[in-house]
Amino acid sequence: MKNKLRELRAAKEWSQSDLAEKLGVSRQTVNAIETEKYDPSLPLAFKVARLFKKSIEEIFEADGD
Amino acid sequence: MNKPNLPDELEPGKRDYSVRKELEVNGWGYVGLALSIGGEALIYFHQDWPITLRTVIALAPIVPALLWGRVFARWVRGMDELHRRMTVEVCLFATTATLFVFTALHPLVKFDVFEASGNRDSWLAWLMDWHSWLLTSWLLICFYMLGGMILRRRFK
Repeated sequence: MKNKLRELRAAKEWSQSDLAEKLGVSRQTVNAIETEKYDPSLPLAFKVARLFKKSIEEIFEADGD
Repeated sequence: MNKPNLPDELEPGKRDYSVRKELEVNGWGYVGLALSIGGEALIYFHQDWPITLRTVIALAPIVPALLWGRVFARWVRGMDELHRRMTVEVCLFATTATLFVFTALHPLVKFDVFEASGNRDSWLAWLMDWHSWLLTSWLLICFYMLGGMILRRRFK
């Protein structure tokens, strides 16, 4: 699954640790999502969307869409 | 937000490793291991003790083992979703691999392969005693670390 997490985080000038703290996850998890090695669960995807005030579809894009 | 638990907290040499956390999570495990080793020695040297007492001594490590399982499960529940998934997968790998080794060892012990090879009194034969809690713990730890290394590489 592709995502725009890195760009959104950079736009806010947050480090991975800052974002991890806001989401209540570890920095490694943020890194794994950004590098598209791990797809977050639906609750975490909603948390990300709420944090950046966007819809899930605007941040995450399923492969082949 | 609360900081989630990390698997690195229990791995010596890692930046997040903490002895306090190690004792908090694995403390009951160490108590169980000590009771197991001490109990085996007691029973070995006092085989004339009543059967009830020997049974109590032999089964005593089960109590700290259950308490350790409870604390470990709580620690895993305190992780974020990626690390929780990784830890559950590593535990499954470690227990399956340990079970596989025991299954493979069973016919070797049953058909006296170690005895025939002259290893009966060696440290290997002692370690290969498939009733030993020490061997179980050692295999579980080794497979847990191996599984952890493989999974960390996948998500790095």
